[in-house]
Amino acid sequence: MATKYRFIGKATPRKDALEIVQGKAQFIDDVKRPGMLCGKVLRSPYPHAGILKIDTTKAEALPGVRAVLTYKNVPDWKGGVPRHVKVLDNKVRFVGDGVALVAADTEEQANKALEQIEVVYEELPAVYDVEEAIQPDAPQLYEEFPRNLVPTNVKVFGPKTLSNVVMGDVDKGFKEADFIGEGTYAYENVANPLPLEPPGVIAEWQGPDQLTVWSATQSASWHRFIMVSKMGFPDIRAISTHCGGSFGSKNYSAQPLFYAAALSKVTGKPVKVMYTKEEQFGAFVLRLGSRFRGKVGIKKDGTVTAVSGEWFVDTGAFSDMAQAQVAVGCGEAQLMLRCANWDLQTKLVLTNRSASGVVRGFGGQELESAFHPILSIAMEQANLDPVEFFKKNYVKPGDGYYWREGNWWVCRGKDYSKAVVEGAKAFKWKDKWKGWLVPTAVDGSKRVGVGVGVHGNADVGEDDSEAYVRLNPDGTAVIHACVSESGMGQRSSLCKMAAEVLQIPLERVDMTPPDTLINPFDFGLVGSRGTYAVGSAVIAAAEDARRKILEVASSVLHAPPEELETTDGKVYVKTKPDSPVPWSRITGIMQTCTGFGRFTPDYSVPNFLILFVQVEVDIETGKVVLQHVVAATDAGQVIDPPSLEGQIYGSFGSAGTDTAIFEESVTDRKNGHLLNMNMIDYKWRTFSDLPEFRNVILETGIPSHRFKAVGVGEIATSPGPSAVLMAASNAVGKRLCEYPLTPEKILKALGKIKGA
Amino acid sequence: MMPFDHVNAGSPGEAVDLLTSYGGKGRLIAGGTDVLGILKDRILPDYPDVLINLKTIPGMDSIKESGEGLNIGALAKLADIASSPEIKAEYPALSLAAESVASPEIRTMATIGGNLCQDVRCWYYRYPHHMGGRMLCFRKGVGPCYAVKGDNRYHAVMGGKKCFAVCPSDTAIALCALQAKISIFGGEGTRTLPLEKFFTPMGNVLRSNELVKEILIPKPTQETRQAFIKFTERKPVDFAVASIACVLEILGGRCMDARIYLGGVAPMPWHAEAAERIIKGGSLDDPTAEEAALASVAGAKPLKGNAYKIEIVKALVKRALLRRQ
Repeated sequence: MATKYRFIGKATPRKDALEIVQGKAQFIDDVKRPGMLCGKVLRSPYPHAGILKIDTTKAEALPGVRAVLTYKNVPDWKGGVPRHVKVLDNKVRFVGDGVALVAADTEEQANKALEQIEVVYEELPAVYDVEEAIQPDAPQLYEEFPRNLVPTNVKVFGPKTLSNVVMGDVDKGFKEADFIGEGTYAYENVANPLPLEPPGVIAEWQGPDQLTVWSATQSASWHRFIMVSKMGFPDIRAISTHCGGSFGSKNYSAQPLFYAAALSKVTGKPVKVMYTKEEQFGAFVLRLGSRFRGKVGIKKDGTVTAVSGEWFVDTGAFSDMAQAQVAVGCGEAQLMLRCANWDLQTKLVLTNRSASGVVRGFGGQELESAFHPILSIAMEQANLDPVEFFKKNYVKPGDGYYWREGNWWVCRGKDYSKAVVEGAKAFKWKDKWKGWLVPTAVDGSKRVGVGVGVHGNADVGEDDSEAYVRLNPDGTAVIHACVSESGMGQRSSLCKMAAEVLQIPLERVDMTPPDTLINPFDFGLVGSRGTYAVGSAVIAAAEDARRKILEVASSVLHAPPEELETTDGKVYVKTKPDSPVPWSRITGIMQTCTGFGRFTPDYSVPNFLILFVQVEVDIETGKVVLQHVVAATDAGQVIDPPSLEGQIYGSFGSAGTDTAIFEESVTDRKNGHLLNMNMIDYKWRTFSDLPEFRNVILETGIPSHRFKAVGVGEIATSPGPSAVLMAASNAVGKRLCEYPLTPEKILKALGKIKGA
Repeated sequence: MMPFDHVNAGSPGEAVDLLTSYGGKGRLIAGGTDVLGILKDRILPDYPDVLINLKTIPGMDSIKESGEGLNIGALAKLADIASSPEIKAEYPALSLAAESVASPEIRTMATIGGNLCQDVRCWYYRYPHHMGGRMLCFRKGVGPCYAVKGDNRYHAVMGGKKCFAVCPSDTAIALCALQAKISIFGGEGTRTLPLEKFFTPMGNVLRSNELVKEILIPKPTQETRQAFIKFTERKPVDFAVASIACVLEILGGRCMDARIYLGGVAPMPWHAEAAERIIKGGSLDDPTAEEAALASVAGAKPLKGNAYKIEIVKALVKRALLRRQ
């Protein structure tokens, strides 16, 4: 880019790098409060059962045990949307659901007490399939939701929270179509984002209505602004430690927080509930299940004429965020496909498995991955190059779409065609693409194929952010913003933006800890909003602070503010740069100068990422190997190149691209047990299996951000799964539509083994 | 993890004495890479009072090559076996098998004795207790084998009867193919038996007061050709979906003798004798390999979700015999 920046766009060391690598960074399990108790959860052996009898007397009598809670004596708080999920209920709805809670002096005592709780269950039939669950005679999880349908017309996520896409005339659209893709496909392997650090919460009540919670969270404020309404509106102070990864899942930890807060309330002591890895696998949050039945019409030239269908979204036993994910999914589908005629309906369904929660890709990845086989059928009939199709159909400036909160937005972002072209060039798409269901290369039993997917999100400007920037007389600055660090390096990048505005060395900019008591509101680092939304608030606060100090300086330096400049904590008249005056002489050493910045929602600037993949399929063994990946995007001005690269490499893991290859949560539908709750049986890609991966990052600025940047971190996972299906299908010459492509599925599709 | 005592043994005799004196409430630990996971997840109703540490027994980790063959102490680390130049040169099937186990971190802890004695990986058997309670199954003495009607993608396609968990050891098939013997030390002294006889459908023949002391491998002839191939979904870390070890004697282009063992497909290392019979006496060409591949899985009885393993085994047999990957 033409503009020369002092920090922006340069690789600078992460401000927290040293403390992390030296083991000094504090994570949630490092936090110890005086007198803190250990909280543990007794979990259900049945996928669906009533609790007929529960006897805790033996457990209560054990040494060290301070409290045992069941549905009978637990506080009457409720999660879910609409609120219906009790802290503990007289019913369990998945294997691993909470039955009772114990607080004890030590973990060992707590575990021993769990063993002594006697429960008599009445087993109930369970349901796991999203379409079986909505039958009138299906087992019902909650009395208030007949046929297991959760209302989608809620107002929590916006006044007209999007629960469908209806516009134009689909009948007319399908009449105009030359080709129609149709069918029912699913993305139901409900993968687990699996950040390294399991969730954990410490709760401590200061008074009857005053609660402090420590946790490792991606978005510190969620434990205050979301949880207060679920807990009878106590004053919650939410503090985040360093967070050992999140990928969405640890934006907040409702159940661990409920459990810790309930145990703390009855014991009067701080209580830590730290989930084990197995609890993170089987009792925290999974990706939504997604099934799409519908059709898409396209013309010979790739124009999309109509989209219609029904999207079944499986939340598992409950979810706090599913309606928002449905809304964002509906929005993102419109970004991916420019189309005038839509009739996309949704159903949100409960089933007897562990809950769904926030996971990177947030609705859009789920919808698109289930929808893509249908789109591929249409493109295949039309014999269209999918790269050209996506280039033509991704939202362009001037196009409109409905977004999460239900409003119509007109895109004022950029045309991403150049990113498509540059990515295709880097991948050598034109050489490798041989047509639909045609391999790129054949060598013995090994077949190579290529595929491509796109994804974009307008959440880069979602929700609100506020920040203060305080200038100290010593020439340092402090950003007050409620921003956690869950691995992306965004706290450092925000410091860079402030340092750039204030023109002070990066090491002189610091940031308050993520703590709702000392910071104004920030929605958190979700949906790639850190750069645009949080960044804009911090930039505005820094600009405001700069303006204020120049105003004060005006009387000291006897020049109007617009003739003043500040660099390195000193102010000077632009024409006399040799006589700078330090901030301490402008404000005096007993005053600071604070600016305020606020960002309000702006859903008009979608981001974009196209992912090209090359896979090799062994048609004798059914093994799929990811060989080569190119991700292309246009991020506007890059703030911190290594951080951005890292975000895009994150296409693997975190329930992303590999959900088409081997990541899945395996449940035995005979008894509801999740079977692969460990890192051996849950196939998470290791470093030894990394493919050749290249990022192509363009930097076309957007005018709405001071540094012309737009975030893209979140979306790197989303185009991957469908791209892999396409690539493997082309490799073996058969349409493959099931996630993940295990050897069994490949060999079945090739007719080498019989279908089960 | 629930607490237990940890006692160091100074000799095999002392370890056996400790086993006897704790009367079933003691468990042996060497590298600990398997047993600690079992204890942490509390998959078994019985929990030991004490772990008897074998690592403190001097000299039991030696790897000694002699004119007659190779003696490997039960405490030899998989990493040392994988990197031993002698083993790489003369016993490549074992070297490859040891190297294929888990990850470098685990191989530097895990021992050959432990690799042979490790418990099965069946995900029903290993279901963690604190997630609603351990699953009591046939292998634990109570209940059915959940794999029969459940998700059995990683279970046995051959030789399964009441329990369909597979023998997870990678080194076992290599050592069987190399005609290794296993030396067992116990209250009644030392007994040595062919490794193949060590394994039983429900584990192994070790008595409650015995431990594995040593592995003895006869020196292969000059004409020996060895192969080990392990199929996994990921390169490192995983246990075998299916694997093969074979040791062939090739003379003048003809296969004079053959030992083929399959892993990951049966409760024990699976001796593919029918495949051996087909290749013995002839040259190893494509049609023979194809025929041997079919023979290797003859009689296989896949469950609902693991027939794919049969295809993989066939591919592995062909590749091992024809030296392709």
